[in-house]
Amino acid sequence: MSNIIKTLDVTDALPNLKKVCNLDEGRISGEIFYSQEIYEQELEKVFARCWLFVAHESQLVKTGDYITTTMGEDEVIVVRQKNGSIKVFLNACPHRGNKVCFSESGSTRGFICNYHGWSFDTAGNLVGQHESGIYEASEFDKSKWGLKEVAQVDSYKGLVFATFDPEAPSLKEYLGPMTWYLDALFDNQEGGTEFVGGCIRSTYECNWKIAAENFVGDILHAGWTHDSAARAMLGGAVAKVSDFPESYSVNWNGHGYEFALDTVGNVAVLGESKLNRYVHTIKPSVAERLGEFRSNMIASVSSATIFPNFSFLPGQNTVRVWQPRGPNKIELFTWVVVNKSAPEEIKEMWRKGAMMTFSPTGVFEMDDGENWEYCTKTAKGKVTAKQDLFVGLGMDTLLEETPLPGNVYEGQLNEANSRAFYQYWFDLLNAKSWTEVPNRNKGKAEAE
Amino acid sequence: MEKVYLCKTSELADNQVKKIDNATYGDIAVYNLGGQYYATADLCTHATASLAEGDIEDDMIVCPVHWGQFHIPTGKAQGFPCEIDLRTYPVEVVNDEIYALVDSNLIAKG
Repeated sequence: MSNIIKTLDVTDALPNLKKVCNLDEGRISGEIFYSQEIYEQELEKVFARCWLFVAHESQLVKTGDYITTTMGEDEVIVVRQKNGSIKVFLNACPHRGNKVCFSESGSTRGFICNYHGWSFDTAGNLVGQHESGIYEASEFDKSKWGLKEVAQVDSYKGLVFATFDPEAPSLKEYLGPMTWYLDALFDNQEGGTEFVGGCIRSTYECNWKIAAENFVGDILHAGWTHDSAARAMLGGAVAKVSDFPESYSVNWNGHGYEFALDTVGNVAVLGESKLNRYVHTIKPSVAERLGEFRSNMIASVSSATIFPNFSFLPGQNTVRVWQPRGPNKIELFTWVVVNKSAPEEIKEMWRKGAMMTFSPTGVFEMDDGENWEYCTKTAKGKVTAKQDLFVGLGMDTLLEETPLPGNVYEGQLNEANSRAFYQYWFDLLNAKSWTEVPNRNKGKAEAE
Repeated sequence: MEKVYLCKTSELADNQVKKIDNATYGDIAVYNLGGQYYATADLCTHATASLAEGDIEDDMIVCPVHWGQFHIPTGKAQGFPCEIDLRTYPVEVVNDEIYALVDSNLIAKG
């Protein structure tokens, strides 16, 4: 008996949605950051349908290893199975709905509900209850009442994603050519990557899209927002991005990666020369593995978001999920990623460096948090919320002739990725099924 | 005393437990703890569960359903939800065959 969650009934799109953005004109309105009505639609049409990051495989080494996280606002358990696969379950007992696992991570033989003693094995099967004889007398069918299982789970280079929607496209199709760019951080050395340390959790009073969009393609803010933090860490200003001879904004299905080819711009802000040296040391082997081009991206000035809410910074090696907690609140889950093959000293340096810069007390994170909270809060004003916000930089910068995969735009000081992010969001909010989501990709689906 | 055949020693590796079906006295769990053999009732005294499907931790058997524990040599229940001791049987090994010695007068079926 399958306990896999079926597709939800999708409600109609909001009738007045067209007013909130027009990406061809390069505008959105603040309403999308504050409206409860829109937020409810997002939980259903974005978070209950898209592939969401749930774990790194290094967090689930052996059978019974698990972590708890959320997919949208739905609490889930991610657990390694006996056969090596990974399953994801709702963290809710199918009897009265009580949460069955309260720990963030661990290793277990199963999950037992505190309420009536329903007990589940790591495969989600209901194996028994307190007073089991009563259930047997009622001819209760245990096989029908296991933990509810998330429809699809798949991984790419150690990154585990899941979707509630059995009809969602495959992860491969969903990510498309973005995987080519993901490899620059997640597959630049033999053995791949791992998370070091635990999960850092914090909250912001901001909308999840502001944060996700910042990572999808907004390096523009760095030179201004982070000036003082950069001076503290580097002893100088942030690199002047407009001076880079070559940089790009690439997107696909609302995901985006903006990057320069300066190799060490991001790692440099951690202020540890040994990390810069490590990057330079591995660079020739990265060039052999991934080619010269991507060896310039290992720790360069860059950032990325996989739609909707999984983001990372190569070089700072911070990996994060902006968990939605209402239209004007997020819970931020952050981890530090390193190459498995890196020396222990380097891993530890990266962990500390990420703490100094992109943690709740990190110098860069504080800069961003303040801005994002006020981008959200100003939209509390009914009049303010209806005004246009400009997102129109780099309108005609699509590169038609390029060997690079994806929708490739010239320059990273460009709002092309932000527009693509909001466009995909808007398309999902208007689509009752995946077949109604228009394909707006213009570039190559695969690397040449 | 009835001598109930359980299994061969070769069928029970070290630190393993095996369930032996027995319609007369109730299923029996037989254990090998470092070459020492033990036998207890297989049914957990708390809820419906075969202890042979549980894990052995040192000299305890952990019930697979609610993870309550029993001391294998004595059958002593270790605490909530397992509060009733497990029946144990003396074991006799004859050549390579393991037997449980069951007092047929004292044990009701099941």
